[in-house]
Amino acid sequence: MMYDVCIIGSGAGGAPIAYELSNAGFNVVVLEKGKDYKEEDFSKDELAVSRRSMFTPLLKEEQHVINNRADDGTVTRYVGSEVDWNFWNGSMVGGSSNLMSGYFHRMKPNDFKLKSVYGEIDGANVVDWPISYEDLEPYYDKVEKVVGVSGNISKHKFAEPRSTPNFPHAKLEENGVTKWFDLACTNLGFESFATPRAVLPHAALGRNGCYYSNFCGSYGCSSGAKGSARAALLQKCKAEIITEAFVYKLDSDESKITTAYYYDNNMFTHAISAKIFVVAAQAIESARLLLNSKNMYFPKGIANNSGEVGRNLIFSAGGSGQGRFKFENLSEQQQKELMQPGLFFNRSLQTWYDYEESSKKYKGGTIDFLFEHANIVSRASREFYNDEGDIIWGEELQKKMHKTLTTSRVLSFEVFNDWLPTDECFVSVDDEVKDKFHMPVGAINLWGHKHDVKVGEHLAKKAVQVLKEMGAEEISYNISSAPPPNLVAGGCRFGENPKTSVLDKNCKTHELENLYVTDASFMPTGGSVPYTWTIYANSFRVADKIIASLNKIKY
Amino acid sequence: MILKSRRTFLKTSFLTTAVIVMSGGALFGAINPLETILKAQEDLFPHAKKLGVDVRAYLLIILHHSRVTDEDKTFIRNGAQWLNEEAVTQYNLTYPELSADKRQKILKIVSKERWGESWIHRILTYIMEATFSDKVYGVNKNENGQKLLNFTPGMPRPKEPLL
Repeated sequence: MMYDVCIIGSGAGGAPIAYELSNAGFNVVVLEKGKDYKEEDFSKDELAVSRRSMFTPLLKEEQHVINNRADDGTVTRYVGSEVDWNFWNGSMVGGSSNLMSGYFHRMKPNDFKLKSVYGEIDGANVVDWPISYEDLEPYYDKVEKVVGVSGNISKHKFAEPRSTPNFPHAKLEENGVTKWFDLACTNLGFESFATPRAVLPHAALGRNGCYYSNFCGSYGCSSGAKGSARAALLQKCKAEIITEAFVYKLDSDESKITTAYYYDNNMFTHAISAKIFVVAAQAIESARLLLNSKNMYFPKGIANNSGEVGRNLIFSAGGSGQGRFKFENLSEQQQKELMQPGLFFNRSLQTWYDYEESSKKYKGGTIDFLFEHANIVSRASREFYNDEGDIIWGEELQKKMHKTLTTSRVLSFEVFNDWLPTDECFVSVDDEVKDKFHMPVGAINLWGHKHDVKVGEHLAKKAVQVLKEMGAEEISYNISSAPPPNLVAGGCRFGENPKTSVLDKNCKTHELENLYVTDASFMPTGGSVPYTWTIYANSFRVADKIIASLNKIKY
Repeated sequence: MILKSRRTFLKTSFLTTAVIVMSGGALFGAINPLETILKAQEDLFPHAKKLGVDVRAYLLIILHHSRVTDEDKTFIRNGAQWLNEEAVTQYNLTYPELSADKRQKILKIVSKERWGESWIHRILTYIMEATFSDKVYGVNKNENGQKLLNFTPGMPRPKEPLL
């Protein structure tokens, strides 16, 4: 059977294509490596979901190799299963969008022209995007309406232009501590605003509203309020989804992909033919699939005669920090507000999305504030050490744990700034380690530019100011070049020049007529926000291009 | 049902296979690692027993789980061996044979070693997992762990054990 479109991967990059193309009457098949789950399958079982990572592969079966480059140029090789280090985020229908917190920020107009606005940086491959904010704005808007984004627009220095005055859904209910936060920001002259979320506050779009479970991020949503690719798109369209289908190879002639080969759960191989193929397996796995798909026309891997596939892998730079609020410093009313479970904190700062230091203009970023995750085992485990740094147990541990967890609460922050693309950070395939399908595993070659840490430090210090102003204690933060596995992009950057990019501006490969890549791989720079909204928006944009292309074939 | 089958399996498990304990380069004897681990968990967090949490049963589940790596399992078993070697060095008795006071002294001594700190941390983590586990796992039936910390579990709860 010849499908119109075959999509590899069902997350935020693949699902909008499936949704748009199938609703437009095309014959669409989605190949998803993981299983299918429905709302009723999700629970808040910390042991299974968070402690034992039930939604990601067993590392002894599927893993990564990490080649970590130090500043002196030495590279240390880590086999993921040996050191428990991996970059999996959620193998299931809808991918990691099922487990996201749904902190949704649009990129800013200047994020699309980083090189032009902020200039080149030594050792970094900064480029402008081949599209502008104005090109993507209608699709950001579409995501607000179709996936569902809640929030409340408030003016601030770096608020991006919008085609509509406000979000289609009112902001989620907030914890009382947000009032302390807003007051502290006002005192400091910082512009706080409610973090937009891909979470519905009420029943809409054929889904239920949020029920404030207190366990949003890292967990599947049991009401459908979270705008996962599964709940918002795949469950709302007629695309055929084949689960537990691991695509191990694409084959082609000199100009077109002809076949996608996949293994089912019993290791039987299957072949899919389609007019158009879309790869959206998340940045690392998409590059790996292309690199593993070699043939006589593409001896270095599909779409890789330029040698660009896998290059310029990026993450979100920055880090996180926290401060603790203790009962002894609070009124009874404040204590109640602090311990109120379920309601969101939802506050962000973008006051330093760009900033000047020593007369130099820097691209800055976003700071999101949120309560420490409610996972009780994790929180209890953080009490294993006394103030001297010695491990404790028995009664001493029990008393410390009880006091800390019942009379204080931690407010955390996350810093998002650009991870500069460099020659030293890229995806390749490993020469030695193979997965359970006997395919070479992805090798993640890591290096973070020093500039990233400098910017992250600048932002973290601002967040610390807010926590201090609020009266928090035990304030700390950690900014480093450690890559967050859930915020990965690049590897198949888009651009006008086929010699320096894998994809054209419509995310079609330069080297093949019918192959698109629509996960975060296309991003040449990442902006200073979490990626998901931009991935969704771009995928909706590309869907329009694919529809136009198929209509051309038809008529 | 789950616990019963786990226990049957344990009869031949890596944790019940005897491990040699050396003393001063000479053979001292053989110990059952599981017996040491179970004694150590009681010493590390006796409150779990007061809360009615069956940490023993949980350890039987988790130390045979496919999502606990072989390296971790081996480390837990080796730690039991090294704990006994320290007990033999200090008191010429195995860890389970010592009085409660002396077992605490051994834990203090090994906690200053890198492996010892790590081993205690792992066992404590498993104890916390048991203490705050959902009642569906059958080891924290009255959820006294959650009550101890005024903790409200997230809804919905698991309908069946997912581990």
